Amino acid sequence: MVSIYIGSTGGYTGKSLVSMGLGQRFKKDGLKVGYFKPVGILPVKVDNILTDTDAWRIYRALELKDPLTEICPVILTQELMVKSYLRDVKGLMTKITRSFRNLSKDKDIMLVGGYGSIYTGSYLGLQGIQVLKRLDSYAVVVIKYDGEYIVDYAMQAKKDLRDRFLGIILNKVTDEQKQSVEEYVIPFLRRKGIDILGILPHDSVIGAITVEELNEMLGGKVLCAHDHMGNLVEQFLIGAMQVDKAMEYFKKTRNNAVIVGGDRSDIQLSAIESGSVCLILTGELYPSEMILSTAEEKNIPLMVVREDTYSIAKKLERLSVRLRLRDTVKVDRGMAVVSENINFPLLYEKLGIRPK
Amino acid sequence: MLNSFFSPKSIAVIGASRTPGKVGFDILKNIIQYDYEGRIYPINPSADEILGKKSYPSLADVPDNVDLAVVVVPAKNVLEVIEQCGKKKIRSAIIITAGFKESGVEGARLEHELAYKAAEAGVRFVGPNCLGIIDTHAKMNASFAAGMPAQGGIGFFSQSGALCLAVLDRALPDGIGFSKFISMGNKADITDTDIMRSLAEDENTKVILGYIEGVSDGKKFMEVANEVSKKKPLIILKSGTTSAGAKAASSHTGALAGREATFDAAFRQSGVIRAYTIKDLFNFALAFASQPLPKGPHIAIITNSGGPGILAADACDKSDLQLVTLHKETIDKLREFLPPVASFYNPIDILGDSGAERYEKTLQLVLQDSSIQGVLVLLTPTATVDVASTARKVSYVSQFFEKPVMTSFMGKKSIESASRILMKNNIPNYEYPEEAVAAYHAMYRYHAWIKRPPKTFTNINVNKNGVAAIFEKVKRENRERFTDEEMHEVLETYGFRQPKGLFARTSEEAVAGAKRIGYPIVMKIMSPQIVHKSDIGGVRKNLNNKNDVENAFFEITTHVRNIMPAATIYGVLIQEMISPGKEVIIGITKDPQFGHMIMFGLGGIYVEVLRDISFRIVPLSNEDVHEMVREIKTFPLLRGVRGEPETDIGAIEQSLLSFNQLAMDFPQIIEADLNPLLAHTRGKGVIVIDARFTIGGE
Repeated sequence: MVSIYIGSTGGYTGKSLVSMGLGQRFKKDGLKVGYFKPVGILPVKVDNILTDTDAWRIYRALELKDPLTEICPVILTQELMVKSYLRDVKGLMTKITRSFRNLSKDKDIMLVGGYGSIYTGSYLGLQGIQVLKRLDSYAVVVIKYDGEYIVDYAMQAKKDLRDRFLGIILNKVTDEQKQSVEEYVIPFLRRKGIDILGILPHDSVIGAITVEELNEMLGGKVLCAHDHMGNLVEQFLIGAMQVDKAMEYFKKTRNNAVIVGGDRSDIQLSAIESGSVCLILTGELYPSEMILSTAEEKNIPLMVVREDTYSIAKKLERLSVRLRLRDTVKVDRGMAVVSENINFPLLYEKLGIRPK
Repeated sequence: MLNSFFSPKSIAVIGASRTPGKVGFDILKNIIQYDYEGRIYPINPSADEILGKKSYPSLADVPDNVDLAVVVVPAKNVLEVIEQCGKKKIRSAIIITAGFKESGVEGARLEHELAYKAAEAGVRFVGPNCLGIIDTHAKMNASFAAGMPAQGGIGFFSQSGALCLAVLDRALPDGIGFSKFISMGNKADITDTDIMRSLAEDENTKVILGYIEGVSDGKKFMEVANEVSKKKPLIILKSGTTSAGAKAASSHTGALAGREATFDAAFRQSGVIRAYTIKDLFNFALAFASQPLPKGPHIAIITNSGGPGILAADACDKSDLQLVTLHKETIDKLREFLPPVASFYNPIDILGDSGAERYEKTLQLVLQDSSIQGVLVLLTPTATVDVASTARKVSYVSQFFEKPVMTSFMGKKSIESASRILMKNNIPNYEYPEEAVAAYHAMYRYHAWIKRPPKTFTNINVNKNGVAAIFEKVKRENRERFTDEEMHEVLETYGFRQPKGLFARTSEEAVAGAKRIGYPIVMKIMSPQIVHKSDIGGVRKNLNNKNDVENAFFEITTHVRNIMPAATIYGVLIQEMISPGKEVIIGITKDPQFGHMIMFGLGGIYVEVLRDISFRIVPLSNEDVHEMVREIKTFPLLRGVRGEPETDIGAIEQSLLSFNQLAMDFPQIIEADLNPLLAHTRGKGVIVIDARFTIGGE
């Protein structure tokens, strides 16, 4: 059995996506795959079993059969967080190694999902680097590509992980960034002896969010088209311009949600007519009946929120870095992107195993 | 106090012109042609004589004293002229010249300098950029208006010169009489409040009319208006009040309080009669200038046709006026000469075949009736009625009674003569019955205003040091909001009962807390970033046992962290469950001109939709509080409908007074609301369920 720790140098880089994609491919290659998340930060109860939301999703996506209780042994509930700040909580690492031992018994390969970065968790005595060493895992580091400077992170990770370091995966590389990645980043990292295991392109569907999730996060009230809460929003637009300009801008942007003051019926109508997938009406101002009925007819949910346009936009900006893979459309797309863009021969070679 | 503006013994027109059509010519001409009796000095460097008056090259050349300077020179020369006025010891000036604040940045700078120079020179001035001043009793028309209004009791001041012209033009053909006409212009020195005070002192002015677009010092405006309105009716048309409101304000009160509500409250609290249209302004003024105030709300309507009578009755019904039934004695006397099919109740329909005599007899009897405090006479011009004769009879009868009589002789051409007769006899005649009712209602409201006893105030003494320390801390930490504990202490200090609550960081602490408070309990998330707890699933109600509490703790904290990862979660608040009651809202907002306002309304989730709210500007008197609770349309719900017990209205009033005190004590409050404030039945008090404050930097 070998195990790969999927870590990162920052939060929200796409670790879950990579875990799912790798797992799916390994399964297809005939390997017995397991998934383990030592520390979870998104508590959820499934059939009254406390586990982690991301772990649970990956578990389901990979159709695993292991006991759910073992998948994520340490979950950072509010309770545990408060307690660990007030006094040292003991026995967590033991719990982790025990669950890992149970899960990995009959596996060819174990995927171990990190939380936060490889450096987080020190306050619990569960820093990523410590955990992966204890589990004797190799590490893949997922880096969200923001610019050339990320080579620093790759070099630091290599230094800190030493013999455990397998290489990096660059995620969310946009078309515009591609050239600089190929011309500067790849040659540089090669020269420094860092393997690039994959370059995943930016994909707007994976980054999308359903209207339902959006509504939950913004604490809004949906007024119509309740059957279309599953609409996927890929981009957000702010409707604060002249109507003639607005139309143009709405039409250009695929699957957009428009954030607009509840009293701007002119903008609301243009958004509805140009086929936005959702309207977020700010300032707790309710739209006119005419707008409501048009939206209902066109199956566009209208959501009323309390805050003003600026606050909502600010919230969404923060939200966009931490989107989670919930929806099956997004999961399938995500797994496909991973298996197409990861250099599996190199990965197998580095792990010293091969497909069956 | 502004005597030399209105009855100067001598006037100098600086910038007088020989060219007809120029303002400097028209003003001089107006002063001369309307028989001004004082001395007149045209000032013009290149003329010896204008319009038959000897002209002087400069003010310094005028041999005698000058009381009033009318300045018509170009803007760039105004400063110099004001300096000369100072040297000549002229204390009052009307600056007609435009090209100041209204024309841009340069002009604004010039106006600022002008105000400074004038103060230095000891010269008070009206304007700049105004039309001038007219005083009909002093026979002075120092304006470039076309025409001179008739003498009368209406004093009019206006921020807009154009509106002055329109009002003047409208008044001329009807012979509506004015005492003074003041075009205020940019109000760089003398403002509305100065003029209001001066008109209040003026013995020729019976009614004060004003058009304003804004006030610069709300508190002062209210203080002066309050003082003036006690002496004379003060009717103001205020424009530019509609605003789409503070839409995205974070509190309910903020969103509900537009500028419109602010001015309404300010006017109401200071006895100003508010006109919403120019027409109202006129209609009200006519009524006040010519008729005695009604002594009460009981009005009778006499009509010769059903429709207009019903319209008038409807309009009364929407106001505070009451159509009461006449005394049996009066009805019996009416039966003696009215056709049996006439209506003897109020409105009194004397039928379409009425002539002048029937009107006269009926009016006489109704005015004699002690239960009636005023009469509205309606007439549609039927073939049988002699309108002019009816007008004469109505005028004749009314003069013997100290009760207001107004008419609405409807139509245009056929009632023209009658209308003139009525107007001449000081009976205001209105085109439509609703207008007559509105004017009558304004008079009744004014009567109620002057008759009301002086306001009484309650001073609520609390030990505010602790609260002051909290405000200090919030400011120091650069926050806008209180933490829950701070809020609790602030409200407790001001006498508000709140649900018993305990803070819990873990589920064990939560269970222990629930035990101490007693089941059932409510659990709420505690986080400084979360304002609307229930919007994001941060509240769980009706938890009955340990298991409920543990689950709720997990669910709330997890859920909130999921959807607001950036929020700091302190833990949860365990609170007692409160028995149901009526939800009301009490709020504070702050207006840049008028300061704090207190809002009251029926609360809960529908408050923004229903907008059934009332406002008062701080400080609130006991009477204000009494009224504002009863002013909302849903007040009957508080009193109890269909056998429901009455809500604790006294406790609600007390809460308003406490909030008033809080607003007075802490000017740094920008917005606050208690929503809902749960009111229980009488004697059971009120309890704050949720509260929100926004605190500013002061």
